[in-house]
Parts: sequence; C-alpha cells; structure tokens
Amino acid sequence: MSAVVSPIREPLIQGGKSYHQITEDIVSPTEKTPSTAWVIAFIIAVTGLAFYVFCVAWTVWVGIGSWDLNRTIGWGWDITNFVWWVGIGHAGTLISAILLLFRQKWRTGVNRAAEAMTIFAVMCAGQFPLIHMGRLWLGFFIFPYPNTRGPLWVNFNSPLLWDVFAISTYFTVSLLFWYTGLVPDFATVRDRAKGLRRKIYNFVSFGWTGSAKHWQRWESLSLILAGLATPLVLSVHTIVSFDFATSVIPGWHTTIFPPYFVAGAIFSGFAMVQTLMLITRKILKLEQYITIGHIESMNKVILLTGTIVGVAYLTELFIAWYSGYIYEQFAFYNRVLGPYWWSYVGMMSCNVLSPQIFWWKKFRRSIFVTFVMSIFVNIGMWFERFVIIATTLARDYLPSSWSYYTPTWVEIGLFVGTLGLFFTLYLIFTRVAPVVAVAEIKAILKSAGDQYTGPNAHGHGHHVGHKKDIPAGGTVDIDDPETGQSTDH
Amino acid sequence: MNQFTLEARHKSVLIGAVILGVLCLGLTFLFYDDELHSRFWSNYLHNTVFFTGIAFVSLFVLAAFTTAYAGWHTVFKRIWEAYAFFLIPGLVLFLVIIAGIWGHFHHLYHWTNEADVATDRIMLGKSGFLNKYWYTFGTIIIMGTWIFFANKLRSISVEEDLHGTTDYAFHRRIRRWSAAFLPIAGFTSAALIWQWVMSVDAHWYSTLFAWYATASWFVAAMALTIMTLIFLKSRGYYQNVTDEHLHDLGKYMFAFSVFWTYLWFSQYMLIWYGNNGEETIYFRTRLDEYRVLFFGNLLLNFATPFLVLMRNDTKRKFGTLVFASVICFFGHWWDFFLMIKPGVLHTTHEALAHGAEAAADAAHHGGFTAGFTIPGLLEVGTMLGFLGGFLWFALSRLEKAPLTPSNDPYIEESLHHHV
Repeated sequence: MSAVVSPIREPLIQGGKSYHQITEDIVSPTEKTPSTAWVIAFIIAVTGLAFYVFCVAWTVWVGIGSWDLNRTIGWGWDITNFVWWVGIGHAGTLISAILLLFRQKWRTGVNRAAEAMTIFAVMCAGQFPLIHMGRLWLGFFIFPYPNTRGPLWVNFNSPLLWDVFAISTYFTVSLLFWYTGLVPDFATVRDRAKGLRRKIYNFVSFGWTGSAKHWQRWESLSLILAGLATPLVLSVHTIVSFDFATSVIPGWHTTIFPPYFVAGAIFSGFAMVQTLMLITRKILKLEQYITIGHIESMNKVILLTGTIVGVAYLTELFIAWYSGYIYEQFAFYNRVLGPYWWSYVGMMSCNVLSPQIFWWKKFRRSIFVTFVMSIFVNIGMWFERFVIIATTLARDYLPSSWSYYTPTWVEIGLFVGTLGLFFTLYLIFTRVAPVVAVAEIKAILKSAGDQYTGPNAHGHGHHVGHKKDIPAGGTVDIDDPETGQSTDH
Repeated sequence: MNQFTLEARHKSVLIGAVILGVLCLGLTFLFYDDELHSRFWSNYLHNTVFFTGIAFVSLFVLAAFTTAYAGWHTVFKRIWEAYAFFLIPGLVLFLVIIAGIWGHFHHLYHWTNEADVATDRIMLGKSGFLNKYWYTFGTIIIMGTWIFFANKLRSISVEEDLHGTTDYAFHRRIRRWSAAFLPIAGFTSAALIWQWVMSVDAHWYSTLFAWYATASWFVAAMALTIMTLIFLKSRGYYQNVTDEHLHDLGKYMFAFSVFWTYLWFSQYMLIWYGNNGEETIYFRTRLDEYRVLFFGNLLLNFATPFLVLMRNDTKRKFGTLVFASVICFFGHWWDFFLMIKPGVLHTTHEALAHGAEAAADAAHHGGFTAGFTIPGLLEVGTMLGFLGGFLWFALSRLEKAPLTPSNDPYIEESLHHHV
C-alpha cells in the first residue's frame, strides 16, 4: 500500500486515535456489562428465535401442509427466504476478499461485522431447504455417500445438489476467513483479561504471541483465503441462480441470471450491512471508526449494484419481447401486469428507483436516509425473489392449474423467526468479539488516521503535497459547499 | 520524456500496416469471395466492432476508475484518453455498414432482407427493433454520446494540466462527467451489441450476450494497454510506469479473463442444460462446423491467461506479460470472429440458395469455407490493418498532450504506487 495519500481522500479513522485508544474503544464493549438497549434487543431477538423454533416444530409435526404450497406453487416463501438470506450473506466476503484485492482501505472499518453477518445469514439461509424437506431428521440424505438404501444416490444433475456443495464450501471458507482475522484480536482481548476469561481467550486465540513468524503466517493465510473466497463469492449466487435458470420455465430460463443474481446479492448484502452498522456504531460508540465516509462508500456500492440490477431487469424485459417466444413474453407480461403486479412494483421501486437518490451526496451522507434506504433495499430484494418464484409458478403452462398463493401464519412465522435467529447471533457476537478488526485498523492508522491526513493533520503525515501551498497532510474538500452535493454526479 | 513524438519510422510501419489491411480487404473483395462479398463485409464488421469496443472500454474504465476514487492509473491515463478517441473513426467505419444496409450492398444481417422478414414470423416480431432506422440512428446517437463524453474527459484533463490548482476544480468536473457516463454506458452498450453482433443470428437471443461481449472487449483493451505501455517504455517514455502499475494491469487482465470465462460458462451451460432448440442451435452450429474456433476460444482466452498469469512474478516480467497480452488480444479478436462469422455465413447461404429445399441444405452445409471456418491470412492481414490504424490514430492523439498529467489530485499516489 502506498504511503502517499492523495489530498482529496477523507481520513478513515477520526479523533486522533493512538494505538492504545483504538484497543480501548473497540475491545471495551466486550468487557462491560451489557447496556439496557442491548438487553432489550436481545430479549426481542430471542423471542423471535423461540417463535422460529415453534414454527419449525409445527411444520415438522403437522407437515408441509401447514404451508400454502399447492400443485404448481411448490416453492413459496421458503425458497424466497432462502435466496434472500443467501444474498445477504454476500457482502461480508466481498468486503473481506474482493475489497482486499482492490486495496480498498475503508474495508477495515466494517469487514469484521460484515463477515459475521455473512456467516449468520448463511446459517439462516440453510434452514429453509432443510425444513422444506419435511422430514428434517433425514436431512443427511443430501450428502452423497455409499449408503444402505440400495443404489440410492443424490442427483448429481440437479443444481439443488450443487447448492449444497456451493453453500457449505462458502460457509466453511467464510468462517475460516473470519476466524483467522479474529485470532490476533482475541489475543488482544486476552491480554487485558484475567482469570477464566483470560484462559478462554487464550484458547480461542491459539496462544497467539504476536511474534514476527505468527504475523507472517497469518498474512499468508489471509491472502490464500482471500484468493479462495473471491471465486466463491461469485459461485454461490451463481449456483442459486442455476436452481431457476437450468429449468425450462419461462421467466426462469434466462442466461443473464448468474451475474445478475450476484450483483443483486451484493446489493442486498450491503443494505443489511448498513442496517447493522448504523445501529452498531451508535450503540457501541464506534462513529470514529465507522465514519460517514464508510457509509457513503457503501451507499455508492448500493447505487452501483442497484443500477446493474436495473439494467438486468430491463434486459430481461426487452429480450423477452425480442425472443419472439410467446411463453416468455407472457411470463413477463404476467410479472408486470398479472395478479402479483404489486410485488413487481415493490421490486422496481425499492431496488432500482429509490437507490437513485444516492446520486446526491447529501443523501449518501445522511444517516436517516441511509437507514430508511437500507430497509427499502432489503424489502425490494425480498420482493425480487418473490416475483421470480411466485408469479412464475402461479401461471404455468396449463391455465387450468393457475392459482394464487398467500402464505400461512407458519410461513410468515418462519421468516420472522429467522430474523430472530440472525439478530440473536449478531448480538452475541457484539458481546464476545471486537466488532471492528483491531489489528487491521491499526495497520492503516498512519495512512488514514486524521492526525496524519486530512484537515486536522499535525503536518507530520506521510502525505506528499505536490504544491507548496497545501500543508503536508492537508486535505482538500473538493465538494461544492453550497449545495452539499457531490462532485461525482 | 513527458512529451511523446511518433517517430517517422514507426509511423511508416503503422501506415504500412494500414496499407496491408486495405490490400487484404481489396484482395478478399476481388478474388476470394462469394458473389455477395460476405467474407469482405464480415471481416470489415468484425474488426470495426472489435476496435470500436476497445475504444469504448477505455472510456468506460477511465470513468469507472475516476468514480471509484482509484488513483494508481493516473500516471498513464492519457493512453486510455487517446484510445477512447478511436470512437470517432469507429463511427465513420460504422457509417459504411449503415450505408450498406440502406443501399443493400451487403447481406450481413438477415433482417435487412425485407422479403424474408415478411414471411418469417420471428423476424417480423423483432422488426420493431431490428430495422435500419434503429440501427442507423441508434449507432449514430449512442456513439455520438460516447464521443461527447470522451471529448469531455480528455479536454478537462488537458485543461487541468495547464490551469489546475489545489482546489481540484477540474478533477471535480471530470468526476461529474465520469459518474454520469457510467449508467449511460451500461444501458447503451447493450443496445448496440444486440444490434451490431447478436442480430447477426437474427433468430437467436441470450440475455447475457451483451455482458459477455463487453467482457471480451475489456480483456482485449487491457492487453493492448499493456503492450502499448511496454513498447513506449522500451522507447524511453513512461519511465514512471513501473512494474507495480503493470502488475495491476496484469491482474485486471487475469481477473477479467476469468470473469469472461465465467460468463462464457454461464451462457453455454444454461443453454445446454435447458436444451431449447431455439437456443442450442447457436452452439450446435459452432460445435459442429467451427470446432477449432470453439475450443481454440477457450484455450486462448481462458487456459493460457489463467495458467500464465496465475503467479505473481509473471505479471511483473515483461516477457510473460507481453506473451499473455498477445494471446489475449488475438484470442478476443478470435472470440468476436466466432460471434459474427457463423451467422453471416448462414445468412449468405440462405440468400444464395434458391428455393426452400436448397436453403435447408445450405443451413447444414458443413465443410470448410475460406475466411469463415478459421481466420485465414487475409483476415489476419485485415486485423493488422485495423490495428495499425487504431494505433496510428491513438498515438497521434497521445502526441497532443504530455504523457503524464499534472495537477491531478492522485498523481503523487500514482507515482508512488506500490502493490
């Protein structure tokens, strides 16, 4: 990484932090008694989780008949939720691996929490295919192994099986990546702890001593895992898209699905990161590490991926007309103007139209707008999967079997319940691990701390001004002060 | 040496290449062609699309990097500014194809044959988009817009050299134009690729096609950039472009070769798995009659860059980097050859055959057709001619401004770039 920093870059760490202060700020939340806000949130989340367990038990006891699936609509909320959660689980590894390869320093502020979110989201996603089997206790049938059931093997031709491999691989590598990053930070927590707590953190940090050799191996491993994780980020949602695109169902069989699903996944993943980060930074007082600049960068990613998804929606519509294939044409007519028109409107307005407000810098840097938008995008991306699944299945080749699908309370309960599962895990995470990568933040302090670069710099920074009239380390705000609008729209 | 001058010797080499290209096109037209001159016209279309695409991608990359706060490329961004200007001759080249559509000089596109469209339900359904008006005005208006943006980014950048101050007002303007260009580029490039390339197979469609073709252009543009930079370095220019910058360009070439393969696989696999006759015919033809092209495509554009550029050091050594660039550049030219030629040949056979039965025979002709089944010497000569023209035009633009911009807010970062 270059030590020379352009004068127009914003500092990524504010408040003139010293190395010690960084440790204090980030590690102390794990050492204190939880705040009232945390306790209330945790109670709500656990209640959701309990409701989830209840709905799963109901589904298993009563059977899949407790859902409103019927003869043509074999997939409803379950697979919608599955794809939605898998999509959300894309941002973490994208931030850790791809932004690492692109040398984006702002990733350090959010990578830890985003990776945790990824892992929890994938765990939520994995629930749905399992529950959908009905007989949960036979879930291990999805693994190909020599068995006593006669020559009964899994169907290797099915993209659903590829999903099993893709998602379990992704989960494993994401988990390893996340844990590897945590090792030195667990050691930092240990060094401040006493008694049993010290023993536990010593165990989970593998007795890390911080020797040069440890760091060297740690860096090698991080790079290898980043290299492995990068194709995995693409492969997971590609294979999820194959679940639909390999079929010959109009509206599903389209070649743009793989890259467009990946773009949509990154889109929804970043929206969820925003939702979580805005709350986390406030409650844990991490505003100087997860700055407005970080939020703005993520909003730009949301604008970009939202627009890519928009290009894909319009491409699909256009090619459906262009193909001259009447079933494809009907499928898209039905999506836009059929009985589920409201879900198409929800998808288009939340995913494509509303993110366009991020062309204005004022909105990109507004906490309130960002929070509302992150919820919008999450809703919109849920609708996208619902549009693809339900509207298509409700109008299949035989008009006599056309129907309309509405979820039962059990299906809604399962969805709400996974939110409970997700937030329970996330809230526990904020109590046991540093939610910002301490070691990685320290590594960028001298090139991105505001005492070294930016308007508050003391002038001893590493920045080389190429004009005499800017002080070393000075930042030039090139944005228009009157309108507060960005330079880049 | 921050001021580039195209040496007379090199200029004559480039002009020689252009003459060779014109000669090859002429020979193709006069002696080695069918009565519709489809080999001549398809070679012309193929190279026009390929080199125009490289110019478009150069502009797109410039805009994308600026919007994403990238700094490392600043030292050599003039190369991409210069490449982008090939959009102007690109438009002129397309005007010839457009004139051909109006004057019926060529049979590149089946949908231009009104008699056939009238009796063909599929083409009739598409005629709202596949018609000479859309082709003409779409190409002129969209390429005109691209040229407008190329001109904006370049002229502000040159102005910044002369009058830039530390309030970076010029950079602010560049960023505005860059960000505005991105969505425009996203929508318009797809529309043109459908018209220019996909409609060669007038019945066939694939939603992924536009992104696939753009990825192909992207790798070719990176390969050409690397080769140009290394050449200029060997002539004593761009000493400030180091192994670090080339390493990053190599990474882009590697990453987008893999991305191209990902799109190739997604498109092929989904069509193979779906097994719809309307879709599989595209690959069936290519597998049966263009086997060398089909597998060569994967060898050149996936296997070679993947294996050669996998290691760190091969992206930093000029020898391996130039080798991979030559293969990738030629490989993606080959890829566009495979996208365009089979459709044109099919249209030609149908047009030349008389009666429905003969047309059905012609559709399954098999066998070897010079200039279609694999690229011949005339095709390679034509490509060298276009390449010579492209470089001549781009390098003449490069002469008009200093090689490395000054007063850019990222220039110091770029000069001290370290991977």
